[in-house]
Amino acid sequence: MLCDKCGQHAATVKFVQIENDHKTELHLCQSCAQGYTNFSTGFDLQHLLSSMFQAGKLGQKLKQGPAVKTCSTCGRSLLDIQKTGRLGCGDCYQVFSDALNPVLRRLHGSSTHRGKVPARGYPKARVSRQIEDLRRRLQECVRQEQYEQAAKYRDELRLLESQVSGGDSQ
Amino acid sequence: MKEIASWMKETGPHGDIVLGTRCRLARNLAGVPFPGGASRDQLREVMNKVSAVVPKLQKLGGFAFHEMGTMDALERQVLVEEHLVSPSHTENPQHKAVLLSDEANTSIMVNEEDHLRIQVLKPGLQLEQAWQLATEIDDLLEAQLDYAFDLQSGYLTSCPTNAGTALRASLMFHLPALRRVKKVQEVLGTVSKFGLTVRGLYGEGSDIWGNVFQLSNQITLGQSEEETIEHLARFADQILHSERQAREYLLEEDRKLATEDWLYRSYGILRNARTITSQEAMELLSDLKLGVDLGVIPLGDPQCLKQLMVQIRSAHLQRMMGQPLPVQERDRLRASLLRDTLNNKA
Repeated sequence: MLCDKCGQHAATVKFVQIENDHKTELHLCQSCAQGYTNFSTGFDLQHLLSSMFQAGKLGQKLKQGPAVKTCSTCGRSLLDIQKTGRLGCGDCYQVFSDALNPVLRRLHGSSTHRGKVPARGYPKARVSRQIEDLRRRLQECVRQEQYEQAAKYRDELRLLESQVSGGDSQ
Repeated sequence: MKEIASWMKETGPHGDIVLGTRCRLARNLAGVPFPGGASRDQLREVMNKVSAVVPKLQKLGGFAFHEMGTMDALERQVLVEEHLVSPSHTENPQHKAVLLSDEANTSIMVNEEDHLRIQVLKPGLQLEQAWQLATEIDDLLEAQLDYAFDLQSGYLTSCPTNAGTALRASLMFHLPALRRVKKVQEVLGTVSKFGLTVRGLYGEGSDIWGNVFQLSNQITLGQSEEETIEHLARFADQILHSERQAREYLLEEDRKLATEDWLYRSYGILRNARTITSQEAMELLSDLKLGVDLGVIPLGDPQCLKQLMVQIRSAHLQRMMGQPLPVQERDRLRASLLRDTLNNKA
C-alpha cells in the first residue's frame, strides 16, 4: 500500500483516530509519518471560504427545505456551496449572485471585473477595455513627461474610439 | 518528455535573486460543471474538446497532450517537481491531462480544480513576457472553446478567490541574505497589506526550503491583468533591493570572514557528504548559490546549481536511476550526485 499523504512510498506506519464513534485510518510512509500531527487549526482554505459565505447572515442558519434554489446546470444548492466554499459551474455565479457578491467583495475588495474580455461574444466590451487601458497608460506617460510615447497612445486611442462609434451587440 | 524543463536550467534577468516567473490563468468551459462536480463523461468530454484544439496551438510551438492516468507515479511526480503540474493534479489522475510545450516552459492542466489552467514559466524576472505568452495562448484557446465568462464577474472559476482575471502571477525568490540577517519576516510580512501572498516552493501549504519564497497576487477582481503585473513588479523591485543590500552587508569588512566561513562550510559538506536528505541539500545549495553569486566561491559552471536544485528531488533521482528507490538509497545517491557534479565543476 502506498502512503496516503505523498502517494509515492510504501506505507509503513498506521495512524488510527477515533472521534465521536468515527474511526479514521491513515497509512503513511516513514518520512511523512515523522512530520505528521493530527492537529488542525481549521485554518485551511475550505473552512475559511465556507465561513465567508456564512458571515453575511451571522447566526442565521440556512435551511435545506424542499423549495431550496438549485443551479439547473450543475444541481448545486447554496448550502452545497457554503459547505465546500466552491462553486459548481459558471452558471452558479448568476444563480447565487445575491449570496456570492458580498463574498467576492470581502475577498477582493470589489465584485466587478476590470480585466480581459474574450474576443468572441464580447467584441464591444473588449474594445472598451482596451480603450480604458490605453487611457491609463496615456495618463501615466503624461505624468512621467514621456510625451513621444503618449502621442503614440493618443493615436491608438483615436483609432479605437472611431471603431467603437460603429457599435456592435453582444 | 524533456530531461529538465528549460526554465529550471537557465538563468534569466535578475537570476541571482529571482529563480523564475510564473503566470497562471484559470479558465472553464461554459455549461459544463467544474471538475469537482462533473461526471466522468463530462470530464472526458472536456478532455476531448481540449485535445482537439492542440493543433491550433502549434503557432506558438509544439504542444503534446498527455493523459495523467497513463503516466506512472514517478513521471507525474517529476512534473510536480518542475512545477509543470500542481501536486493535486497527480491525485486521482484518471480524467486529468496536461498539455506540455516542447521546451516544457508552458503547461496547460486539464480538469484540475478548473477545466483549464494555463501556466507559463520563465527563468528569472520576466512578468510582462510571461503574461504576454499566457494571454496569447488564452486567445488561441478562446477562439475554439466557449468559456464560462460574464462581464460582471469576469472569468468564472470553481474557487471564488480566482474569479475575475483568474490570473495568478508568481515570482520565485531566492533570499538567503535576508534570511541570514533575520529580516525575511520584516520584508515579506508586509505583503498581505498589498494584496499579495507568500508561499513555499511548491505553493499552497508547502514548507519553505532553501530560502525560496513564492510571491503572488491575491486579488483577481477589480483590477486588470496589467495592473496586477505592474503591482507585483513594483513590489519585486523592493524585495530585490532589500536582498541586494543584505548581501552587501554580509560582505562588509567585519563580517566578511564569518560569511565566507559559513558559505565554504556548506560547500564542504556538499562536496563530501555520503548521505543527505533533499531538505538539507536544498539548504546547502542555497548557501552555495549565494557564495557563487557573491563572488566568494568560484565555480566553473554556476548554471549547474539551479539544475541541481531540481535533480536532487526524489522523483528526479529515481527517474535518473530508472526505478523507485527506498529513502536511504535516495539519500546516498543524492550525496553521490552532488559530490560528482560539484567536484567536476570546481
